[in-house]
Amino acid sequence: MNRSFTIDEARTRAHELLEGLAVAISHEHGVMVIEAAAAYLVETMKILRDDEVFSFKYFNFMGGADYLDHLEAVYLLRSMLHPVMVEIRVRLDRDAPVVPSVTSLWEGANWHEREAYDLFGITFEGHPDPRRILSRPDMDVFPCLKDARPHRKTRAEWKWTALDAPKRLPGEPPRRERS
Amino acid sequence: MSSPDATGRENMGAEAGRGEVDGRPILSMEEMLLNMGPQHPSTHGVLRLILHLDGELVISVDPVIGYLHRGMEKIAENRTYLQMLAMMSRMDYLSGIFMEWAYVRAVEDLMDLELPPRAEYLRVITAELNRIMSHHVAIGDFMLNLGSWTPFFWTFRDREIAMDLIEMVTGQRMMYNYMRVGGVRYDLPDEFEPACREFLDYFPAKIDEYEKLITYNEIFLSRTLGMGVIPPHEAVSQGLSGPNLRGSGVKWDLRRAEPYSVYDEFDFEVPVGTWGDAFDRYKCRIEEMRQSVRIIRQALDGLPDGPVNVKTPPMLRPPAGSIYRAVESPRGEWGVYMVSNGGLRPWRLKMRDASFVAISMLPRLLAGNKIADLIAIGGSLDVLMGGTDR
Repeated sequence: MNRSFTIDEARTRAHELLEGLAVAISHEHGVMVIEAAAAYLVETMKILRDDEVFSFKYFNFMGGADYLDHLEAVYLLRSMLHPVMVEIRVRLDRDAPVVPSVTSLWEGANWHEREAYDLFGITFEGHPDPRRILSRPDMDVFPCLKDARPHRKTRAEWKWTALDAPKRLPGEPPRRERS
Repeated sequence: MSSPDATGRENMGAEAGRGEVDGRPILSMEEMLLNMGPQHPSTHGVLRLILHLDGELVISVDPVIGYLHRGMEKIAENRTYLQMLAMMSRMDYLSGIFMEWAYVRAVEDLMDLELPPRAEYLRVITAELNRIMSHHVAIGDFMLNLGSWTPFFWTFRDREIAMDLIEMVTGQRMMYNYMRVGGVRYDLPDEFEPACREFLDYFPAKIDEYEKLITYNEIFLSRTLGMGVIPPHEAVSQGLSGPNLRGSGVKWDLRRAEPYSVYDEFDFEVPVGTWGDAFDRYKCRIEEMRQSVRIIRQALDGLPDGPVNVKTPPMLRPPAGSIYRAVESPRGEWGVYMVSNGGLRPWRLKMRDASFVAISMLPRLLAGNKIADLIAIGGSLDVLMGGTDR
């Protein structure tokens, strides 16, 4: 295991590799942070994965985050050769959050992307199976958005309909109609 | 074959061998759609599998999760850091210490807290006890799935002793709530060390007994050898971790790969498998229990004196920033990705669970196997829905 690989060297190498692709490269709490554009995401990830020194072959997870003015898709990759992790952040438009799927690079990304869609409504272009995963399939909100409110049934939806009412037994007094 | 939606209701029974493609009728094949779970006893919790079967043969599997989804990531955004700590051990309820550990590590590293060494040692001791307990369930339940009752009782008999020990320290059997930001809640009681040492002397012989009972049992071997093989490159690209990854021969353990806490002071092996089948994953867990005993013994021997936590303000306000911290839980890498905006509550808390990844692997592992082997393969992955659904 290459222990001598420091985070500053990682940043230098990332700068060389991702010339013109990444928006910004920094580091935070021992994790190298790369801000990427959605359009170049797959390309960026492919370079990071296939580079011999970095070799970020282990897809750790991806998730979403809501920052009120924008959404973010966060990918965390690990390498098995050195202890530096990389976090790739993609800034997304809150009204139309669309990002290319990376399932072509890592099969393991499949369910994580489904979860990000389920919780944040991020659409993954080219995802083989874009369904909700944790919530009910008929849910109408994306629950982890900061402005998500649970769907409350209106009075009309709760209304007691004649069809639902149990049949009146013989001799039973008529029920009072509910308004 | 169209894949059913998450409820599976629309397609239930509707597509078996009927229909046409390009105007020509499909040759009827006896395909059956079978719903397994979410209350099936061998799916380890509320996991539901929609199976497409051709007789005994599994053609495809669609795992449906979310039956235990409590929305913890959303709940976290409405609770203070300390309040959320109490919820953490409800995630993966068989290894609650690890859930808390990753969480407090994230908060501590955001706040740049330096821990007293005794606190780190107590964390290691309780965590390794918890790992033994979790592997007890993993092995006992796995054998139960395979139709063998005795190992289940044997493992649970010994699990009870470990549970008493951890209850002595934390006061709880399952939802420990033992970790605090800046240390642990309680120091060890006086009676813990002799009782724990007694357990450490007693337990390795019991592991040998499990092995005598299970490992070279002919039925067990024929049901697990070569079953559910995961090649190492697939395990890595899927993001598997823990014994499932090590069973495939990848020597990757966070305690060794990026030593957190005081794990670099201990001498222990990282057991790995050869073939990546169900047997190797089982064997890795057995060996890990032995290593855990070694670690606890070393930790008890080298236990330093001193305080068990540092003073922190009652209302924690970690500085703004994002952080990812992971621990090696019995099921694999349990990670917490936390975004703080400098306020009282986490802005975002994302939890990365190893069972989630392992279940996402099921469709590829199970297709082409017999339905009886489905139980063996699924059980060998040791998935837990509490962590998966969060």
